Amino acid sequence: MGSAQVAPWAAVAAVATALLVGTYAVAVLDSALGQVISGGGMGLRRALALPWRKAAFLLAQERIRTERPDATLWALAPALYGGLAAAALTVIPLSPTLVVADLRSGIVWWGALEALVMVAVYLHGWAPNSVFPLIGGYRFVAQVVSYELLSMFVLIAAALPAESLALTDIVRAQEGVWNAVRHPPALPLWIVVTLGVSFWGPLNLPDSEDLAGGTSAEASGSHRLVWALARAAMLVAFSAMGATAFLGGWLGPWLPGPIWVIVKTLALLVVVVALGHLLPRFRAERFVSLAWTVLLPLAFLDLVIAGLEALR
Amino acid sequence: MSGSAWIDGVFWLLAVVAIVSGWRVFRSQSMVRSAFLLLASLLGTGAIMLLLAAEYLGFALIFMMALEMTVMALFMVAFMMNPAGLNPMSMVHQHRTAIAAGIVSFLGLASVGVFADFPDQPAGSATTAVEDLGTELLGDSMLVFESAGVTLLATMVGAVVLANRRGRRGLADAGSLPPPLDPETPQREGQPAQDGGHHHHGGHG
Repeated sequence: MGSAQVAPWAAVAAVATALLVGTYAVAVLDSALGQVISGGGMGLRRALALPWRKAAFLLAQERIRTERPDATLWALAPALYGGLAAAALTVIPLSPTLVVADLRSGIVWWGALEALVMVAVYLHGWAPNSVFPLIGGYRFVAQVVSYELLSMFVLIAAALPAESLALTDIVRAQEGVWNAVRHPPALPLWIVVTLGVSFWGPLNLPDSEDLAGGTSAEASGSHRLVWALARAAMLVAFSAMGATAFLGGWLGPWLPGPIWVIVKTLALLVVVVALGHLLPRFRAERFVSLAWTVLLPLAFLDLVIAGLEALR
Repeated sequence: MSGSAWIDGVFWLLAVVAIVSGWRVFRSQSMVRSAFLLLASLLGTGAIMLLLAAEYLGFALIFMMALEMTVMALFMVAFMMNPAGLNPMSMVHQHRTAIAAGIVSFLGLASVGVFADFPDQPAGSATTAVEDLGTELLGDSMLVFESAGVTLLATMVGAVVLANRRGRRGLADAGSLPPPLDPETPQREGQPAQDGGHHHHGGHG
């Protein structure tokens, strides 16, 4: 479908590497920024080792069971969620030719994956047959439309000046001026979407403390580890998309294109993870009101600005 | 293995996924499982559309069906008063009508498969399906699609407004009574709801 065909093994290796390095980066950033923000200094060595220790601890932990769970769906939900993050990463171009799948409808692909995220999180809450996970799952479904509409509007606004739904064309259209500058509401709205879809920090409503862990209240051991990895992977995928659609992707002086994509993705990850430590958790109904009365009109405005830009 | 053999293999795999999960929809005893099995079946169909180079339509099908099947699962659970949807219940009803409708629609679709004259040239990667679709939607048929779109949008806004609890004249459920926990108990007159609205029209009928 794309301009350059990537060999299947190379595609799998690239996505797997991006997932491994990306999730590790998220874990290190999370513990390092958490310490910096709470005034404890960087503690880089500890931050670098902590993710491995946590992972080893979870792998050694005993798996708990609930009464009559849907074991198949319970095991498949984290796999689906992580698989969606991997599938999302396939359309991110590292350079004009270096992309696993240069889809002509890359943005629509992204929308389809976001819709399936809702299925994964709902099933992760439904399958254990337990109260708090179930409430967490319903909570996510109740709020997910608020993110998804935002996400669609800002992505369509990014596609308008490019006159294409392909991500490579969207990056090419940002030569000269990035979409984040051309229509300013886009990037902040995208950060809200990123926090929401990976339910991170202030928007961690389905897995929140007030629900005793929400959809992962009954998850333990390797299951909890896979779920945490999948959430970090989703954060990486959405930051990479933010870097591609709004921060000019591979465009930049001096450095080669792929380095720019990685630098921009990491910068967005730092912002998102820091926000996760800085902001308190929203209440679900307050967030939904905010999303529909303030953020959605802002997304409309973003679309209007992009449309006028495209007509010019 | 050549490219077309791969594609054939993927097609048969997806076809089996679509048909087997479609069959399991009716053998499952849970509303939620049935809804998501149906989603699995439709995802298989959507992926086959991708194989046919109908990229946009395939993604749109996956996108719409993921949303719709979740909404369907939630509404079934809500209407059946079975909060978790975990109690077993049969997913099959009206056997005779269902069998007749199944046979008729199978014969109808199969006759299309047998008698229709399908084009057999493979779609190349240079096809302009997305552009053609856009031209169709926003060209000659624009009035039809836009009217339908605006009508649907107005319906959605109307539904949200009707369902909203807050309003200019106070809360929508002011003065209404919560249903009694025991269905045999008659509702008591004049017992205020949590907001204690005594001035609701017809509340004391």
